[in-house]
Amino acid sequence: MSLKYHTLLTFILLLLGWRCVRETDINLPVEPTKIVAVSHFAPGNPIQVEVSLSQSITDAGDPVIPFNADVSIAVGGKFLDKLFRVTDDGGRIYWESRDLVETNTEYTLAVRVAGLDLIEAHSLAPEPIRLSNTRVDTQGVRLIELTGGKLALQVPLEISMANLPAKDRYFAFGLRHEIEIFEIIDGEPVPDEYYEASSKFLADGRTLALVYDTPEKVVLVDQNFWSSESKTIWLDALIPFDPAYERPRRIFIEWRTLSEDFYRYHLSLARQGSNIPLNDPDALYNNIVGGYGNFSGYSVSNDTVAIPGFN
Amino acid sequence: MDMAIRVFVLSVALFSWSLISLKGQNPLQDQAVDFTCLNCLPSDALIQLSRQTGINIVFNDRFFQSCPPVSVTVQRTPFSKILETIIACTSVSYRWVGDQVVFYRKIQKFTLSGYIQDAETGERLIGASVRLFSNAMAGATSNEYGFFSLPLEQGFYRIAVNYIGYQQEQRTLEMNADRLLTIRLSPNSALPEVLITALPVDDQETGPEGNRQNLPAAAMKQIPVPGGEADLLRLAALQSGVQTGVDGLGGLHVRGGNADQNLILLDDVPVYNPHHALGLFSVFNPATVSNARLWKGDFPARYSGRASSVLDVRTRDGHFREYHSDVSAGLFAVSATVEGPLVQDTCSFLLSGRTTYFGPWIVLFSKRENLLTFSGENITYRFHDLNFKLNYVFSAKNRLYFSYYQGGDVFKNMFEQRTIDPEGLFTDEYTLDSEWGNAIAALRWNHLLRKNLFTNTTLRFSRFYYQSKLGLLSNFLSASGKDNLLANYGQIYQTVIRDWSGKTDFSYFPTHNLTLRWGLAYTFHTFQPGALSINFLVPGQSPITIDSLSKVLLNNERLGADEGEAYVDAEWRFSKNWRLDAGLNYSIFQIRNNTFDAIQPRLRLQRSGPSGWQHWVGFHRSAQYLHQIGSFNISLPFELWVPTTTKVPPELVWQVSGGAALVRSGWNVSLESYYKRFERVLTFLSSNTALFTGGAEDASGWEDRVSAGTGTGYGIEFNLEKRMRPTTVNFSYSWSKATRQFSDINSGRAFPFRFDRRHDITINVQQRIAKWLNINLVWAFATGNPITLSGVKYQHHAPNGDIERNVYVYTDVNGFRLPAYHRLDIAFNAQYGKGRLMHAIQLGVYNVYNRANPFFLYVDSGSGSNAKAIQYTLLPLLPSFRYELKF
Repeated sequence: MSLKYHTLLTFILLLLGWRCVRETDINLPVEPTKIVAVSHFAPGNPIQVEVSLSQSITDAGDPVIPFNADVSIAVGGKFLDKLFRVTDDGGRIYWESRDLVETNTEYTLAVRVAGLDLIEAHSLAPEPIRLSNTRVDTQGVRLIELTGGKLALQVPLEISMANLPAKDRYFAFGLRHEIEIFEIIDGEPVPDEYYEASSKFLADGRTLALVYDTPEKVVLVDQNFWSSESKTIWLDALIPFDPAYERPRRIFIEWRTLSEDFYRYHLSLARQGSNIPLNDPDALYNNIVGGYGNFSGYSVSNDTVAIPGFN
Repeated sequence: MDMAIRVFVLSVALFSWSLISLKGQNPLQDQAVDFTCLNCLPSDALIQLSRQTGINIVFNDRFFQSCPPVSVTVQRTPFSKILETIIACTSVSYRWVGDQVVFYRKIQKFTLSGYIQDAETGERLIGASVRLFSNAMAGATSNEYGFFSLPLEQGFYRIAVNYIGYQQEQRTLEMNADRLLTIRLSPNSALPEVLITALPVDDQETGPEGNRQNLPAAAMKQIPVPGGEADLLRLAALQSGVQTGVDGLGGLHVRGGNADQNLILLDDVPVYNPHHALGLFSVFNPATVSNARLWKGDFPARYSGRASSVLDVRTRDGHFREYHSDVSAGLFAVSATVEGPLVQDTCSFLLSGRTTYFGPWIVLFSKRENLLTFSGENITYRFHDLNFKLNYVFSAKNRLYFSYYQGGDVFKNMFEQRTIDPEGLFTDEYTLDSEWGNAIAALRWNHLLRKNLFTNTTLRFSRFYYQSKLGLLSNFLSASGKDNLLANYGQIYQTVIRDWSGKTDFSYFPTHNLTLRWGLAYTFHTFQPGALSINFLVPGQSPITIDSLSKVLLNNERLGADEGEAYVDAEWRFSKNWRLDAGLNYSIFQIRNNTFDAIQPRLRLQRSGPSGWQHWVGFHRSAQYLHQIGSFNISLPFELWVPTTTKVPPELVWQVSGGAALVRSGWNVSLESYYKRFERVLTFLSSNTALFTGGAEDASGWEDRVSAGTGTGYGIEFNLEKRMRPTTVNFSYSWSKATRQFSDINSGRAFPFRFDRRHDITINVQQRIAKWLNINLVWAFATGNPITLSGVKYQHHAPNGDIERNVYVYTDVNGFRLPAYHRLDIAFNAQYGKGRLMHAIQLGVYNVYNRANPFFLYVDSGSGSNAKAIQYTLLPLLPSFRYELKF
């Protein structure tokens, strides 16, 4: 919670110390149950759609999944595929296409559930904007001591796009790092296994102010970030590790070029607020006709940089 | 020739002269004449000259009544020269009409000017009217410094001087020379009858000036208010067309405008944050307020810099003759004022201070409500105000004022959260330290350049600052007794704005029905927004303390901007029934080598019809270069003040309005409608999910986080006032609609402004029970404020399923309305005095029937199957008490 909100909340709660807090019957907006479809798709992958039913805001139960849902995909008004239901190892249930997504093809999603209105949505995966080679400022790499004998490696990155489009500057990115776990055998470190984890990062105030977290493990970049016409973003990746048995090796950069549907949906989610009193939430962007959710495409450009001094 | 014939001839001649256009000179006037007349009255000399030359000379005996006898002995002298010699004693003149000479009196004009002031204190009275009994068109209104000027022809006049709360002063004057008067009005001794909803038109006691509404200081002290703390902004909020948030929070919103679009002036200096305690109280210490005027539109061109409205507050000068003190105490605040002459009738001062004793209340309530999660023993809130004013009268034509105000709020909170689990004890210590406030100063020089040309030159300084510091120290005490510091985190946020400015204003009164004002102003603004967050566990930063960080921010780079303006205002009564107020303001703003400018016309045409009817239409266009950008539902001090830049354009507002009023037989009724258009109105596009990246709500990049949109506001305002002594009733009703539209919000669709209220009603009844006692009753009703609510939710899963996010489906911004707001307040005001000692007491109740007005709703959806909507109410039934002692 930011400082402003903290100050505000504390102050308001004190003002409300006059025994004024009371429960009341409020006629909240009543909406009929509708189908919810959430799907973000990328070229080369099948389309995966999560389908559920909307809930009243006062319903604290788990979402209802309509197992009998009929989920299909069409292209250019012609039926393409009927998606089949999948339950993965983690218990996640979704409907998946057999066909793989192609760039710049507009897909139409249709979901039917008995007794509920049909929902439809359209979107495409745009042509990806490629990354130039990501640069590491080797002079700026440093180690930060953490508690418990751990360290954090701070790696300055310069991430640049090959070109900055004149419009539709809808991008997101994600940082992950690879850590090598080693054993000491005969006094020498011997690689044992590797794991990946999301990297946090530091940036200047303007950058931090213009990027938004998303549930997709990528960070959405406000299109106003590019108002200076620069095609570069500077970040310091932070990689925590235990030097006793870990060694950072590589950083993976996932650069997403987003459809407008993806961008606006996640931007509205970021501006939705956090259910804080007096918050000013924005209306949710919804491209699902007849229901809720989001059906949107994106394309990915990847880059990998080796961490100097650890290879 | 006897008198009657002379007058008849004169009249005929004058009539003829008015019909005949004379061109060139009459040859008779150069005729050489021998003439002798010793010790003759001028009239006799003229008769003799006429007989001698055969030239008919027409005149009135009264022209020469005050002249002594003359002796003339000339030879071969031009006729005209002889005439001038004879009439040299008086100010008459003559013309040739055919072959005859016609004398007429020169119409001489003189200027009646001066100052209107309180007879007891010497306080200059603003907006007092000077009226002629003989000519309804002729009159003047005292300006911001009590000065008036009224050009009059030579003669005798009877004038009446009026000011609300004062006894009328009547005088008979002979205008045979320019006169500079000081007119002293005596205040009414009884409790004043006050009007809380002053009509925006002429009444018989005050002169009109555009769409102005007076907010009398006396009314401010008599309306019921929470805790009895008299408040100017609460009085302003009772005016039709003025909206606030619930219970006064959220600033003033005039006809659908933003709170930052109000130009709030204290002694001619802009005040950036006029509130204490988030809006429960204003910064205007009631003991210091002399006069306040509110314009909801059509404001004069001399006011600029804010786009919607003007609230011009002037402080008292201080007693010029005696030392006086005033001590006042209410439930929440206490104030003390001392004033008096430093040099009798020449130099006076006023010093006033106010502070609160909120602290014990807050601790008490926080304990009662078990709010220890957020508060504790170490919580502090207080505000204070300090006013100082000095004024020095150098002469009747020169006066110097110095005004200073400093006030601020302090909010501190320290508390601990402890969590015990099988592994040990977690302790989080929070420290919150916030301070905000204004400092302003003004040095003003009044100078009477000519009898009808008044100037005021002002040097001004205004500063607003907000700084908040948050510290978090997190410890873990393991079961084994090992103590670990888990986090040591600090965050600082600040916004600072400083203005240095100078201005010169001229007021010129060329005729009795025309006033011209013009002036120039220059302001240098500096802005210093900033935010820092830091983890003190990072090596190399551990020695840094949060206090040293605040110094770092104060040394941050300042963004400078220049703003200049020139204006001209004309107030012209061009006939008995018509009045035109027209003005033009040109402003220019420069920042980072980019220049913006705006032409701001102002127009108001008013007709006073028969039988007390008045009609008017008005138009204004205003530009605003400074913006307070926020996204909260209430106006908060930490919303950033930022300048116009190439990415953040100036805001523009234009408004048309028209109305009619009837003043008759104790009834005062008005109906006014308006339409307002907002262009480039701004809002902050905030994000609430900076946790993943660790980012703070940061002032950085603000230009890219602002969205410029449009808005509309329109409505009808109805006011009715009936005086039936000893009862006075005011009723005001507003029907209004206000919207906003931003491409980045609500999917680009228009939505209701957060202070959009369809219906707004205020009823005020004032009953005088005795000369020293009255009852004041206020009932207020308003449509509930619009809010954004969600009735539906769903879950969004990340692709790998380890992140779940509840998505609340907000379909429309501000698409839902809170229940209606209403309350009844009552106050008994008593005043008793003997000699210099005066007691005043207010006893009252705020929200008499304890209406639980919704402040906001919180939908608690996370508590299992018992999810519910909770309504929070701010002010329930509250007693109101204030005791004031003057001596």
